[in-house]
Amino acid sequence: MSMSQTPEPSSDGATVTEEATITTPEKEKKADEVVEEEEEEEEYVVEKVLNRRVVKGKVEYLLKWKGFSNEDNTWEPEENLDCPDLIAEYLQKQKSANEGKRKAPGEADGDESKSKKKKEDQNEKLRGFARGLEPERIIGATDSTGELMFLMKWKHSDEADLVPAKEANVKCPQVVISFYEERLTWHSYPSEDEKKDDKN
Amino acid sequence: MSTRDVVKKRVSRFKNKGKDLAKLREKRVSECVELRKAQKNESFLKRRNIILSSLPDEEAFSPEQNDTLSFRIEDIIRDVNSNDREAQTRGCQAARKLLSKGNDPPLKEIVDAGLLSQFVSFLSMDDEPTLQFEAAWALTNIASGNSWHTHQVVQHGAVPALINLLASPMLHISEQAVWALGNIAGDGPGYRDILIECKVIPALLACISPDTPVGYLRNLTWTLSNLCRNKMPCPPLSAVQQMLPSLIQLLHLSDKNILSDACWAISYLSDGSNDRIDVVVKTGIVPRLVELMNRKELFILTPALRAIGNIVSGSDLHTQMTIDAGVLNVLPKLLRHPKPTVQKEAAWALSNIAAGPCKQIQQLITCGLLPPLVEVLRNGDFKTQKEAVWAVTNFTSGGTVEQVVSLVQSGALEAIINLLQVKDAKVILIILEAINNMFIAAEKLGETEKLSLLIEELGGLERIEMLQNHENGIVYQAAHDLIEKYFNDGDVEEVQVDSTQTGFEFKAPDVQKKFEF
Repeated sequence: MSMSQTPEPSSDGATVTEEATITTPEKEKKADEVVEEEEEEEEYVVEKVLNRRVVKGKVEYLLKWKGFSNEDNTWEPEENLDCPDLIAEYLQKQKSANEGKRKAPGEADGDESKSKKKKEDQNEKLRGFARGLEPERIIGATDSTGELMFLMKWKHSDEADLVPAKEANVKCPQVVISFYEERLTWHSYPSEDEKKDDKN
Repeated sequence: MSTRDVVKKRVSRFKNKGKDLAKLREKRVSECVELRKAQKNESFLKRRNIILSSLPDEEAFSPEQNDTLSFRIEDIIRDVNSNDREAQTRGCQAARKLLSKGNDPPLKEIVDAGLLSQFVSFLSMDDEPTLQFEAAWALTNIASGNSWHTHQVVQHGAVPALINLLASPMLHISEQAVWALGNIAGDGPGYRDILIECKVIPALLACISPDTPVGYLRNLTWTLSNLCRNKMPCPPLSAVQQMLPSLIQLLHLSDKNILSDACWAISYLSDGSNDRIDVVVKTGIVPRLVELMNRKELFILTPALRAIGNIVSGSDLHTQMTIDAGVLNVLPKLLRHPKPTVQKEAAWALSNIAAGPCKQIQQLITCGLLPPLVEVLRNGDFKTQKEAVWAVTNFTSGGTVEQVVSLVQSGALEAIINLLQVKDAKVILIILEAINNMFIAAEKLGETEKLSLLIEELGGLERIEMLQNHENGIVYQAAHDLIEKYFNDGDVEEVQVDSTQTGFEFKAPDVQKKFEF
């Protein structure tokens, strides 16, 4: 049995009722104790639990009685009561005053992501095609890294960087072809005819 | 000698042989820049009819002065307003470079120069991509200023043009538009909602594909997060539902920056009423968030933790989903994290879980959350301790008697007693409430005396007595009530608590469950 946040019916299956009755205690074990309350035949109905206190180690509740005004409210020891749901309701209210879920306190202490960002330079950390730029032309080539790389000049950027030839061949073949074409050289060798001429 | 050897020998004597291509280029570029700078300085001085020798050294060689700025802006205005495309591009690029300066870019000066209308008109020139790009970049940086700057950009009609640019076939231009729109959205809920009304979200989402480069996705995720950001009001629910599926996709990628911004987006979306939290958890993203909370990178774990913290401030069902996803295995680690704000956020999340039903409180105990809780109560920084105190009080309020006993046995009571000497009245009140709740539990075991004794031994009675002199009336009253109820030496009877107490249907516990310290 527990005190949870939502009022639950007691586990023995007792019905949850809005009203509760007080009857004179029948199974009072403390036979030697004088029952403070008057032993009346009538039943009084508790309307609401208003407050709680502990007197001489015993818990008492301030009760509003149905059909009576607030002037007639009385403190009753809890062992005399048979209105668990009204008591639970009262306790629940006390709880939610201070406890229960609390929403976020506000901005996360300056840890948050920037709301605005200025762009200072072009994609500083990304390299090659990942920068999302358009190839303009290849200005050099090298294989010092182990595979053939082209030095790529990108449109709208001053920063050239290396891209794998394999990637460039697929993504911008015309640019690659231009590069090679620009660097075609022909080597001429003396032909048979020229030799004959020289001898003369 | 063979031909090959001859060639080799000749090539080896070539000056650039064996040098790194990129480095050579760098050297060439920097030499060029030096020459250019020197030339520029010369022409400035010529313009001002100044002879080098007549100036003190500093002035002669520092081009970064205010009147130089206005010179530049004059040139820019002339170029941008001309009808020559080349001049316009030159002018716009010059403006962009000024606006990209590290320190104090001249945002206001550019706005005051009346250049924004032209920049905005450049955005729609599909036949001049360079101009579009420079204009978009310039506007991005102006919009990155304060609200006034962003307002200027919007007032000059940039928004529809930027949204159109999202569809540009040139990726770098589209990306620049994403960035600019992110800055506008980040200004606040007003512009955020205007962008949403202009249908920015479908246009943005259309840019996501398996081929989209990582850098682009980073910018896009950040912009989306700004569209999720801010409350009063929260973004429209329909917009949130449009964005969520893509956000979930992005959260499953591996790029750290994307993950960070996507987590921020979720943290914003979960920061609100329970129905907002509901929309988020229904996507099934909770396990992934718990995973990300476990990362070592602070910029990922921070927003993930914040998102989870928000979710457990929702309903018991929402909280249960996080528990089922393993949040209780990660929280102890975070309560011991070297960064105090992480500890604080973890303690706050814990306090909300402890505000749940006793079934969840039991899971807290089972998963070993009590020891780290006590540790932060003892050693945490004050903000963390405050959250931890809430956790204790919530625990004592919703916990069963046995659970409260476990709490006391873990050392939490001693720790909160030690915190009674803080200045913060609210914290004191929460602690007194926790102690009160503990007495309520003790009553059920008939052990209020034992608890009083224990508190006395721990130095608590002394502290509570002193609090009766506290300046805060509520503190004084609460301390007084506590003393009255449980520490009065007068008529203390042996209280036999009946196991047939009808009020609580309480079953008498076995002998073990006592407030043994």
